[in-house]
Amino acid sequence: MSSKLKRYEKIEFLGEGQFATVYKARDVKTEAIVAVKKIKLGSRVDAQDGINRTALREIKILQELDHKNLMGLLDVFGHMSNVSLVFDFMDTDLEVIIKDNTIILTTANIKSYIIQTLQGLEYLHMNWILHRDLKPNNLLVNSNGVLKIGDFGLAKLYGSPNRLNTHQVVTRWYRAPELLFGAKQYSVCIDMWAVGCILAELLLRLPFLPGESDLDQLTRIFQVFGNPTEENWPGLKMLSDYIEFKPFAPVPLKHIFTAAGDDLLDVISGLLVLNPLERTNCTETLQKSFFSNKPAPTYGPKLPLPQNIRKLKDLEKPSLKRKLLESAEGGTLSKRLLF
Amino acid sequence: MDKSYPDFSMMPNRIGLANFADNPLSLSWHDSAWIPVLSMDNVMDYFSERSNPFFDRTCNNEIVKMQRLSPDQLNNMTGLEYVLLHVQAPILYVIRKQHRHSPTQATPIADYYIIAGTIYQAPDVASVLNSRMLSCVHHLQASFDEASSFSRYHPSKGYSWDFKSQRGADKAKPKEEKPREETSSLFQRQRVDMLLGDLIKKFPLPTQPLPKAPQTVPTKNEPENGASDDKTEIKQEKIKPPPEKKPRLN
Repeated sequence: MSSKLKRYEKIEFLGEGQFATVYKARDVKTEAIVAVKKIKLGSRVDAQDGINRTALREIKILQELDHKNLMGLLDVFGHMSNVSLVFDFMDTDLEVIIKDNTIILTTANIKSYIIQTLQGLEYLHMNWILHRDLKPNNLLVNSNGVLKIGDFGLAKLYGSPNRLNTHQVVTRWYRAPELLFGAKQYSVCIDMWAVGCILAELLLRLPFLPGESDLDQLTRIFQVFGNPTEENWPGLKMLSDYIEFKPFAPVPLKHIFTAAGDDLLDVISGLLVLNPLERTNCTETLQKSFFSNKPAPTYGPKLPLPQNIRKLKDLEKPSLKRKLLESAEGGTLSKRLLF
Repeated sequence: MDKSYPDFSMMPNRIGLANFADNPLSLSWHDSAWIPVLSMDNVMDYFSERSNPFFDRTCNNEIVKMQRLSPDQLNNMTGLEYVLLHVQAPILYVIRKQHRHSPTQATPIADYYIIAGTIYQAPDVASVLNSRMLSCVHHLQASFDEASSFSRYHPSKGYSWDFKSQRGADKAKPKEEKPREETSSLFQRQRVDMLLGDLIKKFPLPTQPLPKAPQTVPTKNEPENGASDDKTEIKQEKIKPPPEKKPRLN
């Protein structure tokens, strides 16, 4: 254990969440830059229950997964009563990119981000895992333009016919209408709705449906898509928290996403469908013509980076030759480290 | 320009209607609500109206607008964009559609001119030449058809021209010529009408006791004709303003 503690040299503090503190560190053994997520112990009461639940979920699920668009869990180690998880180091996330006004997100860039998200998610879903907390903040991007889905604290196996899940999942703005109506049995469609919201946010550069409460969230959804009915969503009224809303007329997506081509609108209208059974899954979505039409998705290293990272990158890379070498090195390293 | 319009209208007969409908050169678009307020600052917004058939909404301008970015960002993007090329407020604006390769390099694709609020696509040289040649050939063809209709063949005399027997057709032709005269010289016609009126006053029609009443009718008719001509004149004046405004600008 102590050898592992020495293996990762802390470089800097990156951030702090509800359950963990994250540091940037150097792996002494491989010279790779990694992110170390140190799980907080919490109060004594929490500690009595043993290791934190979200951390346990993350370890359990990530150990079984290996995909270029999912965060790779490189190592787990404990020190005293602490548990630390070691991940690939990611420079930024989609939330930062969306909020940076100096960045232009062209159709090609958006296509690249969404393809990577869908490919990662497709792998996840094929392994019977729901992410349940997709949002721009959890889609991490490194300086080579590789997007990885992160934060598996809410991820869960799905598919048992009679298991009940909680509907209190997914950050509200990305939460599907059936969850807001209290559905306890759901499937990949809740992740697909979130992907639709993320795609909309990439286009608008603002959260698409920023509800202030669960009820406000539903109101905002219906203001855009119109009210659901038993006809377009059979079984709707049997949901435990179903309530009637005052009627709204649907707004054509064309009027909201004014610069989106018809092929892109087709993708959005497949993802953002009120009836969860009619939503397209990852595989179906990836087969839509938008992803094979021009323009081609932007090549990873050419994707835009936030201002602060761009500057750092410029400083680090005085010559093109070195830049090429470094990126090549980085690529092989992360692959070797995955398992 | 007047001549080019009949040329375009001739194209459907030769090329086919489907092609004609797709041709952006045969389109124009305007929104009368915008026309009174049109200025250099809002002309791009006018052009980007959703119903304008010349505007491609997947262009960079619309992406920048949808993402609420600064319009200065346009130069850093690559792809399709629209720029305001020329302004001669308030009557003429020229907008260019171009493909941007880098902040300093862009390839023009098409120009659009907004004249008195109506948007047209400026035709390319090929289309102009094509259309002029088409009308030229059409007229030649028509004249050959006409000429050949006068040729006669007799076994003993061989080929000969016969213009006399076609008088019936000749009479039909002056009818075609008449409207041309009417549209061409309104001013002249009015002057002649006026002179004729004067002459009739000076030299009244040979007086017979009975026709006195009819005599008053023609005199009434003539002023009426004059009045109706006045109306068209006003209409013409209404059409004229653009040329009047130009000198003010200059």
